[in-house]
Formats: sequence, structure tokens, C-alpha cells
Amino acid sequence: MILPIGPIHPGLKEPVRLKLKTQGEKVINAEIDFGYVHRGIERVIEGKTWQKGIYLSERVCGICSYIHTQTFAETFEKIAGERVPLRAQYLRSLTNELDRIQSHFIANSTYFKAIEHETLFMYMLHLREPIMDAIELLTGNRVNMGWNVVGGVRMDAEEKHLNSIYQIITNLEKEYDKYVEMFEEGPLLALRSKDVGKMSKKDAIKGRAVGPIGRGSGLKHDVREEHHTYKDEFDWKVIWRKEGDNFARTMNRFDEITESIKIIKQIIENIPSGDVRKKITIPAGYADWRNEAPRGELAYMAETNGNLIQNISIRTPSIMNIDVCGKYMLQDVATVADAVATYASVDPCVACAERVIILNEKGEKTEFDGLHKVKYLQ
Amino acid sequence: MPMSSVIWYLYEFARKSWAESFAIAKTNAEIVETPERFRDFPQVFPEYCIACGACIAACPAPHAIKLIRSEDNTEEEGRTYPVINNRGCIRCGFCAEVCPTDPKTLTCGENHLIREDFTILPTEKMFVIDDYLCIRCKKCVKACQVEGAIVEEDNKIVIDQSKCIACGDCLDSCPVKGAIKGIYIDHVQEQKDIIKIIVNSLEESIEAKRDDISHLLDDEVYRFDFDIGDLVDRARSILSDDDIILDIFQKITDRLKLRIVTWDDEKCNRCQLCVNECPSGAITYNEEEDVVIRDAEKCLRCSICYQTCPFGVAGYYVARFLLDPLSLDTGVIHVTVKPSQLPIGAD
Repeated sequence: MILPIGPIHPGLKEPVRLKLKTQGEKVINAEIDFGYVHRGIERVIEGKTWQKGIYLSERVCGICSYIHTQTFAETFEKIAGERVPLRAQYLRSLTNELDRIQSHFIANSTYFKAIEHETLFMYMLHLREPIMDAIELLTGNRVNMGWNVVGGVRMDAEEKHLNSIYQIITNLEKEYDKYVEMFEEGPLLALRSKDVGKMSKKDAIKGRAVGPIGRGSGLKHDVREEHHTYKDEFDWKVIWRKEGDNFARTMNRFDEITESIKIIKQIIENIPSGDVRKKITIPAGYADWRNEAPRGELAYMAETNGNLIQNISIRTPSIMNIDVCGKYMLQDVATVADAVATYASVDPCVACAERVIILNEKGEKTEFDGLHKVKYLQ
Repeated sequence: MPMSSVIWYLYEFARKSWAESFAIAKTNAEIVETPERFRDFPQVFPEYCIACGACIAACPAPHAIKLIRSEDNTEEEGRTYPVINNRGCIRCGFCAEVCPTDPKTLTCGENHLIREDFTILPTEKMFVIDDYLCIRCKKCVKACQVEGAIVEEDNKIVIDQSKCIACGDCLDSCPVKGAIKGIYIDHVQEQKDIIKIIVNSLEESIEAKRDDISHLLDDEVYRFDFDIGDLVDRARSILSDDDIILDIFQKITDRLKLRIVTWDDEKCNRCQLCVNECPSGAITYNEEEDVVIRDAEKCLRCSICYQTCPFGVAGYYVARFLLDPLSLDTGVIHVTVKPSQLPIGAD
């Protein structure tokens, strides 16, 4: 039989529809439907000035909102052919890593909720709270920070702020291993996580999995390796695993938090002094830029006439990750409960993933000229 | 109600600790402390506002800021100042960043990098409403960001230039092409010169094709393309700003309707009806040579001679224009000439 979960369901945080084809308790395959929360942010941004666009791009995602502003800013800095001052690059990386830590904590806590381990779920949120305080201390707000602008960042961090962030990070590091060990060595947790929702490396490449989901299946790919700040300034390594099951994805996120803590310590120890913002004049042009969001590779393509944004296209990582979840992970899962846990383990962010590409009847990408010409395919 | 619960209630409310905690209960604001760099809704100090509208032009959220003007009283004029709508505000603090006054009218958050060289001011345009084309739908009044900048006076919609901040929202909202015009304030004389050049050369080009036009039937139209390359070069020698030149070209081709009067001497029977009718005295009768002469310089193109003449000496045509594509380099003006539909012959 076909077991529908959603679009409105107490187990799902965001509206999406899981259609599980079951045989008794066993899930044979699954299908995931989108289209319930499309907001058309790109359309709203088009025709506005680039100074305004950055605040709207922040609203694409509700959890990893920071990286959207950084990618937006770096896309327009690429059009201008300039780079921001080094201190601003350091501060951007600092916020990016803090944001990654809190996003991974919330992703793992959601997974623990899905496998009914409420204790770890609470512990994860408890660990996340000081990180949110650190973000608020640095930028002024918890989620929608409004901290990046094209040309740098809007506020300078003082010595005392950096010191208290360092304090928060060292406190986290002290007790962090205890919680990771709880997950890594707990026998019941292993029973629910290991060998569940397996995806091979071949499938991950075929389905274009990115971020911790791809890296959990042995796909060693992190866009931060190509980013100029991370490449030149910091000493770090890409975390990846071979197993490709729920355990590997969750552990991959835990290990990435450790790596982020390492980067944050380097940033605060070596941060250079200087200006945090410079004036940038944007010429007419087109550019694209990719960055590593907590969930994977995020791409922005933007076209401007120097003042207004004429065209913008955003590709978020969740699109590919939710897609591979439906295609390859939810095949022959033992129980329905495991299927839901597998869905939670890919860290789905549905509001991010609701983007639109306009295709013509032959399946080629075309320009959008008016809603009246669009036909919705069944 | 059973007796036991009454006793329980009495016992519960008579507790000493309950009374104590009730007396020293704290409000929410006392318990929660605001973080140091927390960015709340913007604070407004109306006394510093100069009503430049930079905050409105910069705000990324719709309907978050509105400029409001308080009423005049006997002591001083009403003051214009921004008001923040907390439902629309996204607390980005961009308005505080762009505010050009010193001290700031708007402040938002602490330690913001607020510097003069990052401010953005509105465009250098003036917006006027063409009363002839306006249909009084009042969409611009609703769209206007400033209270009282667009008002209805004597059944006309008027923009109050002292309040307008030149944001251009009215232009976007207007359903009639050309009813609201954005005019560049600078280089007015140069703009006039360019307009003269364009109109004159368009008229000359149509006059040159008189032979083709004069054979047109009532329901026929004559089309030809006019290359603007030469005109653009001449306009650029007067004014170097391409944006303004393109704006002028667009407005002319949208709005201009040229009337052409042709004169066929061979059909004339010297009845002299038109000489008396002509309002500007452009048509005269020369008695010595027995000929009626039309002076094109004085002619108003009012079409009265065309309507009066019983022999069809005067021809009357209307030309319209379209610039496509909208660009100075590749653009071509498409000219459409069609005969007038006015009744002919004196009544």
C-alpha cells in the first residue's frame, strides 16, 4: 500500500509530502513531493537595488540564513572584481563557522528526535544555545543577522566580543566529546542508525548529493577548499566517511563541528587589524559564486545593470539532498519509523528547496516572460 | 462543589509564600536583559528629520517606513518625519545607515558602521503628472510613500514638489503610459535642444516622403523605419549623459503625434475659402499672380484648411512613432503615417 506522510503532519516541521510504498512494515520505495511553500524570493529581488537584495536573500533559509548573505555579497564583489579587506574576510568566516555549528546541532537534534532519543535531542539544543548567544553578541541578532553587506561587514568586533566568543567555544569543546561519545558508543542508537538508509558513493554521484550527506557516502567534496579565505588563511581538513548510512551522516556533522571549532580558534588568534568595509562600485555584469552552506554547496547566479538586479538565480543544497533521499536512501528500509529517521538524517530544509526553474516543452531552460505562458506539468 | 476542594482552594491561597511572590512579582522586562549589541526596531528622533526620503529609498521591506507630516499650528509649520511600522520592519538597520542628518534621525542597534560615504540618496528626477492623460484612478496616491505628496485639487491629481522625495513609485503604479513623467532636473536647456533636433528631423523625413503619402486611401497606412544613429551623435555632442538621451527618445516616441499638412497647388481653384478661415494667417492670396500661398513656418497644423477646402488641395496626415528596441545603439524608430479621418468639405 502507499502510506502518505504530510504535507501537514505532526512529524514534519515543514510542509512536504512523503509517499512511502510499503509491504507490511517494510518500505519498498518512496517519492517526495514539493511545492507547498514556494515564496518566489528571486522574483521579489529582481528589479530592486543590490543594496536591498542582500536583506531579502537572507530570508531564503530560516536556519542557515548567514551563508546566503555572504554568497550574495561575494557574487557582487566578483562582478566588481574586488575582494573585501582581510579583517572582514576573517569576521565573515567566523560567523560562517558559528552558523555551521548551530545548524549542525539543530540537524542532529532533529535526527535524535526522529529516532525517539529525546535526551540527546535536548542535549543538542542545550549545546546550541551558547552558540546562538555568540552569534547575537557578534552580529546583533540570532537568526536574520543583517551583518553582511557588499564590500565587507557592517560592524567591527571588539576585543571583548572576540574574547567571550573564545570562552564560549572552549566551554563547548570541554563537554562536547561526552555527547559525541554518547551517540557513537550507545548500543541502542547504533541499532537505529547503523546500516539504515544506505547510499553508495556511486548513487551519491549520480544523484549529485552535496554537503554532509555526500561526504557521509565517501564523496570528498567541500567548496570551502576553493574559497580564497579558507584556502589561504586557515589550516583545516575535509571530513568524510565511507559508510553512507544514517550513522555516518550524523557522525560527519559531529566531526565537522570539531573542525569548525578548530577554525574559529585560529580566526580569533590570528585576526588582523584594519578596516572591515570598503566602498565598492558595481558595474553592469554577470557572475556566479559557490559557497559551502552547512547543508552543502550553495550557488548564486546574478546579473545586474550596475544599479538594479536584473536576474538572480539561487540553487540551494537541499534540492539535491532531498532528491537523493527519495531516490536512493528510502529503498528497502526495514520499517516506516526508519524511513522517517532516514528522511530526518538528510537535514531537509524544505523552504530552501522550493526554487523554480522554467522549462519549455522540450525540457530546455528558458527565460521567464510572464505567468500567463507557463503551463504546469502534471 | 465538594467541600474538600473548597478547603483546598482556601489552603492554597492562604499560603504565605503565594502572597509574598505575588507582592514581589517582576515584569517580563525586568527579568529579561537585552544583549549588548541587540538590534531592535529603529528609534526615530523627529526633530532632526530633513524629509529627504533616503530611509524609504533604502528600506528593503515593503510598507515598513512611511513619511508623515504633522499638522501646521500657529507657532510653527508641520514637521515631516518617518514612522516605523513594526509589522513590516525586518530590523536590518539599513535606514539608520543611510540617514544623512547629523545627529541621526534614525538609530538602530549599537556600534553600527555608519559613515557618510556609504549613504545612498534618491535619484535626481522630478515627477510631474500630465493632466491631459491622467484618468484619476488615484493608484499613485495609494502607492506614494509620503503622506500628502500626491493630492487631489480641483478635480486634478497634483504632485506637491516640496514633499516629493522622487522615489518613482508613482511611475510604477500608473496604468496610463505617459501620464506621470520623470524629468531629469539638470541640463534642462540641453534637453530642450535635443528635443527640438529630434522633432525637426522626424518632420523633415516625413515631408521628404510626400509623394508616397499623398496617394494614400482612407484606410491605408504608410510605414517606414527611421535610423537614429545620426540623431544620437548630434545629441551626444550636446549632452554626454546617455541615460538622459535615451529617456528623451523614449518619451518623444511614446508621446509625440506629428500632424502633416500637404499642399497641392494644381487642384486649387482660387475660391479663397481657406484664406479667411486660417486662424494664424498662414494662407494668403496674391492678387497680382492669382495664386494662394501657404506659409509652412506660420502654419499651426490645425487642419481647418483641410476641412474647409472643397477641392482637396490640402492633405492632412497623422504620424506616430515607436522606438524598438529601447536602445541608443541598435534602436530604430518605426514611423506610421495615416490619413486623417476628419470630415472634408465646407458645411
